[in-house]
Amino acid sequence: MRRSSTHRFSALFPPKSYMLASKTVSPTHPPSVFNIFFWEIVVNEANFVRKCIAAESSQDDLWGKLICTNFKISFITHNSIPQQKFQYVHHLLGEHDIPLACVDQVVTVNDAKGKQKVLGSNQKLKFNPTELILYCKDFRIVRFRFDEAGPESAKKVCLAIAHYSQPADPQLLFGFEFAQSRQYGSSGNIIERVNGVDPGGGCQTPLFDRPSDWDREIKRTGASEWRVCSINEGYTVSPSLPEYFVVPASMADLDLKQYACSYTGQRIPMWCWNHSNGSSLVRMSSICDVQQQRKLDQRVSSAITKSHPQRSEVLTSDLDKTLPSIQEVQAALIKLRQSCVIEPFEESEEKWLSSMENSRWTEYVRAFLRHAVEVVYMLEGKRVSVSLQEEEDRDLCCVVASLVQLMLDPHCRSLVGFQALVQKEWVMAGHRFLDRCNHLKKNDKEEAPLFLLFLDCVWQLMNQYPAAFEFTETYLTVLSDSMWIPVFSTFLFNCPQQRAEYSREFVHSKSIPLGNEQALKFPPVWDWSQQFTLKDQTLFNNPLYVGKGATCVQNGTVKTFRRTKQRNYSSTVRGVPSALKNGLRGDVDTLSRRNSLVARLRPDFSQAREVTETPCERFTREWFSRPTDLQGLLLPQLLPTHVTLWRLYFLRWVPEASISQGGAITAFHKLSLLADEIESLQNQLRQYNTSGGVGGTPASTPNPAHPEHGRMYFKCTPSPNRAASTPEYLSSSFPFSPVGNLCRRSILGTPLTKFLNGAKIWLSTETLANETV
Amino acid sequence: SRSDRSSQAKPASAMSSDSASTNELSPELRVIRSLKLYFYETFFFMKKMSFFFACKYLAKDVTYICPFIGALRGTLTVTNYRLFFKCMDRDQSLALDIPLGVVSRVEKIGGTSSRGEVSYGVVCKDMRNLQFAHRQPDDTLKKSIFEVLMKYAYPISNSLAFFAYDYEQIFPENGWKVFDALAESKRQGLPNESWRISKVNDHYELCDSYPSTLVVPVTIPDEDLRRIAAFRAKGRIPVLSWIHPETQATVVRCSQPMVGVNSKRCKEDEKLLQAIMDANAQSHKLFIFDARPSVNATANKMKGGGYESEDAYQNAELVFLDIHNIHVMRESLRKLKEVVYPNIEESHWLSNLESTHWLEHIKVILAGALRIADKVESGKTSVVVHCSDGWDRTAQLTSLAMLMLDSHYRTIRGFEVLVEKEWVSFGHRFQMRIGHGDKNHTDADRSPVFLQFIDCVWQMIRQFPTAFEFNEYFLITILDHLYSCLFGTFMCNSEQQRLKEELPKKTLSLWSYINSQLEEFTNPFYVNYSSHVLFPVVSMRHLELWVGYYIRWNPRMRPQEPVHQRYKELLAKRSELQKRVEELRREVANKAASLTSERAGSPTRSITPVQTFV
Repeated sequence: MRRSSTHRFSALFPPKSYMLASKTVSPTHPPSVFNIFFWEIVVNEANFVRKCIAAESSQDDLWGKLICTNFKISFITHNSIPQQKFQYVHHLLGEHDIPLACVDQVVTVNDAKGKQKVLGSNQKLKFNPTELILYCKDFRIVRFRFDEAGPESAKKVCLAIAHYSQPADPQLLFGFEFAQSRQYGSSGNIIERVNGVDPGGGCQTPLFDRPSDWDREIKRTGASEWRVCSINEGYTVSPSLPEYFVVPASMADLDLKQYACSYTGQRIPMWCWNHSNGSSLVRMSSICDVQQQRKLDQRVSSAITKSHPQRSEVLTSDLDKTLPSIQEVQAALIKLRQSCVIEPFEESEEKWLSSMENSRWTEYVRAFLRHAVEVVYMLEGKRVSVSLQEEEDRDLCCVVASLVQLMLDPHCRSLVGFQALVQKEWVMAGHRFLDRCNHLKKNDKEEAPLFLLFLDCVWQLMNQYPAAFEFTETYLTVLSDSMWIPVFSTFLFNCPQQRAEYSREFVHSKSIPLGNEQALKFPPVWDWSQQFTLKDQTLFNNPLYVGKGATCVQNGTVKTFRRTKQRNYSSTVRGVPSALKNGLRGDVDTLSRRNSLVARLRPDFSQAREVTETPCERFTREWFSRPTDLQGLLLPQLLPTHVTLWRLYFLRWVPEASISQGGAITAFHKLSLLADEIESLQNQLRQYNTSGGVGGTPASTPNPAHPEHGRMYFKCTPSPNRAASTPEYLSSSFPFSPVGNLCRRSILGTPLTKFLNGAKIWLSTETLANETV
Repeated sequence: SRSDRSSQAKPASAMSSDSASTNELSPELRVIRSLKLYFYETFFFMKKMSFFFACKYLAKDVTYICPFIGALRGTLTVTNYRLFFKCMDRDQSLALDIPLGVVSRVEKIGGTSSRGEVSYGVVCKDMRNLQFAHRQPDDTLKKSIFEVLMKYAYPISNSLAFFAYDYEQIFPENGWKVFDALAESKRQGLPNESWRISKVNDHYELCDSYPSTLVVPVTIPDEDLRRIAAFRAKGRIPVLSWIHPETQATVVRCSQPMVGVNSKRCKEDEKLLQAIMDANAQSHKLFIFDARPSVNATANKMKGGGYESEDAYQNAELVFLDIHNIHVMRESLRKLKEVVYPNIEESHWLSNLESTHWLEHIKVILAGALRIADKVESGKTSVVVHCSDGWDRTAQLTSLAMLMLDSHYRTIRGFEVLVEKEWVSFGHRFQMRIGHGDKNHTDADRSPVFLQFIDCVWQMIRQFPTAFEFNEYFLITILDHLYSCLFGTFMCNSEQQRLKEELPKKTLSLWSYINSQLEEFTNPFYVNYSSHVLFPVVSMRHLELWVGYYIRWNPRMRPQEPVHQRYKELLAKRSELQKRVEELRREVANKAASLTSERAGSPTRSITPVQTFV
């Protein structure tokens, strides 16, 4: 059982935690609280700052104090945001807080002088700013005005924000302070860690930092011809590989050590996953020693072949040749951001579709999904092992390896399975999160949103198969946002070795007594109670999920609810008045219905053969002609009509794009109520079954699992008569609130609103960068 | 006996010849039988319908050139209702079944091939094209596919009766009774102290394209209405479509005023608009929404039309909504078809879609409706809506605004009423815009006005998945029967014509069919909360091409995994659990009862009822 999270943070909010309370606070609008961590330092602050809420008037603007700490930018106000109806509680961040790591660009403006400047670290500012615009990596844009603030303090706070959001040294990232405070707390007690999970964290995610995690994964996938190897203990062989990983059983440690020298980054081929048919997925870097290439290829291939029960050959999939480079992916995101949040809403409407196309973001999403489908075909269709190859094996391989497993392995579609997947193929495999997130703002060329791209791919699968995943798009979104809260080990380092090294150095420089521990222990992001209440965490649970632990599959009844219908997707062959093929009709229903205008033909497109069809396309087409088993292989539809913009993620901060009381969340709400009702019924049944036989009165015992601990965020009301209507605070941005971001407002989302009086302020980041004074 | 029944059911003339022609085909009777067997398995109405179907043509060894699969050999049958192609290849179970109503154009493609085959293209109104190849019959007396289709696909051009007159099916409900103008007025609380029901158009003398029942301000007598009719294009005077139950703000529709170049005025018309404003105490303004771009409205002055000048109509504000005319829309749909059929070009999909401007037009229409709804709801102001004639863009705007304002229209029956009222009764010229049974496929009066309306509704369904009682399939079914000519609902151009043709007597209503199987068309997520106004986000960021309709013929367009299905599964699970809980509850109660009776000495105590959450 999960421990209540309220106590967890008492240690983090020691005496310094204070509240700026005003005398006249309306009870419905509590003042924002300024929480400060034990090791957090206030760097600078300015009073009488205005946070802009709307562009066309300053009427709703909030007045308060702008504070820059070494962790975040806070805005303390006594006002409440108008129109905001919902705000989830974040344990680490207040309503107006922006973590420094989330700041992409700091722009200062003096509108009287017509000057603006993109502020870098340690730069000078020759004018007094009247305005500060923060462009955030999570697509928010926040604007502050200093009309009433002292010019000097305004300037200072801007410079502080610019400086601290671009730390020169990884040790200045707040994570180190956080880990330190967390480990020792104010009371100095070391928090115990059991298998990578904090007690009470309620999270069973394996971190793959110990052999047992790999052993379990080998057993789970039935990879009997593979073994855990520990030659990299202490990172002596490869700096970017984990200490423990899995290799063919036939390969000796000595050989592995010898081969390592010939691979880029000494990355010996590393096992990812095994198919139940025996074929395996392996990832590796390129061989840098050209003379050794042939010999090595042969040896490694034969070893992988030996690990295949049918001794099938190994196919190599070269990702560098077929997929976009990380720079291209980064360029795509910049363009996408430009269209989504930076360009004026109305002006970008006309060319919206072509600007989406020009950004190439969804094109890249499709490319990665397509590549993963091809690998799936080799593993499943051709039953051969596949080795993914990329020069460094630390970027594209992460995306493809994890997508392949998501499609093939239903375990990866559960919450714990997904987190284990990210841990295995991203964190432990040495994806350069520090560089790709550009936390240190050192090298913009290294910045690339590959993890976001991966999450987008997952979202596409989820969008096409809403019942196949245990988690929701809200989960994917907050997971992505967690990248910009630099306290989680998950996204803070380039590889496990770097984590060990940096924390050792930090401990050394601060002369921290470590006791029995080797190094500072950074919390992984997977303990979600660090960020959210148990109640808010239920937003991660998908009411539709069909899988282990799903509401609907307990007591082994899943079979009766499995989709058995024949898919009617080829309406060409059907009579008109033809039917919608969206599966709104079950075939069983149709058969018994007399007045149906729909022809009950069984479309068979096994003959729908195009001349140029590749074996993989044939494999895909045949798969699509069969009913989907959500607990089996899942293939995405790759047509551009089916791979769409992830609206929740990219548009959640745009007020004009927020559908009030609409969006998919309203259907989700209805579903949640039903799932919750089913859950409570099941609990009642369980009660009867456990205590009913004794002849007592089972009903007198309180229901243990209801209503506080249900899986669903939305609870069904106990009264059966009142139809649950859609809560007013739901919107297509839920659980995020676009109000107060982007400094624009829309009235009920109508296009009547004229916004952007000062349109020229809303120049693109590129333009701004060029105009640097 | 079969033909007896059918000839009883309809005027003898057409049907007797039909049955005769069926008998003539005796050599192929065996094929017909097997086909009929197939029909029995396949189509609901075949059992009954095959009596009414008259096989006009049957040809074996026809090649259907499927754009997705390639050439398929099979048998082509043409009846007076449909075109049916059954593939006879061994392992193909493909069949095409298309009501002739969707046929827009039939053409010969190229000359005769070396094998003596001629190719025919069939352009359909529902976003697809078909191509058949068949050997030219040696016997010159025999008709070719081309000739048969040219005859039976165009009953109007060939002075034949529509199949709708032959179609007989018993439905539990009569869909023609769904809409009753007086009942709908009553639902809206009309007549009231400010609005009366006028019988001035009872015999369609005032305006032949308007319904007989009109709601007008009490202060305007019928003689004034007659004068106004002379001032408004086609006599389509301002009448009430919808009234806000609380604020009394109204949606009023009409056609353009005939002001012309000389800025003619009409005192009665000005008085009428003032009366509309006065009927709403909440606001001292009136908004006139002219659906057209202002350039078009001005150009109409040359033809005697135009728009209200704000000098003549005091306290009225005129707003142009920039919706383009039927010709622009037709062209846009033509381009859209080019882009989506048969295949989409993957690499340039979005820019190709953009170049059709289809979604942009959808956006402008929705934006106009949203402005109207916003004025009525938020501004509490009455609005007058018109375009040129007031039967295309006006119908789109008023019906969409009413859908946003009034949750009743978001139910299945309410939506049927909305279509019957704002489109059918107010004289949207379905016959002309669709060109039912007319071979003149280049007719400039054809335009996808109603399709755009349904598309807009679909966009709203997407944005508010719980606000509508009906589902996507409902909308597609309506569109399919817009063209099929199976039901009388969308035939003719006006209420007057429909009565003259006795459509309610001689044909069936689409709503009869739909209301007989509501479950098919019901959205399981529907949450009925009344008096809730929907304000969709009218932005390209949320508008989408309706793939499930426009690209449904492409077999690769596999629909996304349906959430509805899963929801139904969960519902089933719930009722199963409820049953089991209830059983156990009873069991326990019985046990407890027997226990208390055993313990005779113990005091009787009422059994604690089991707490249920549902």
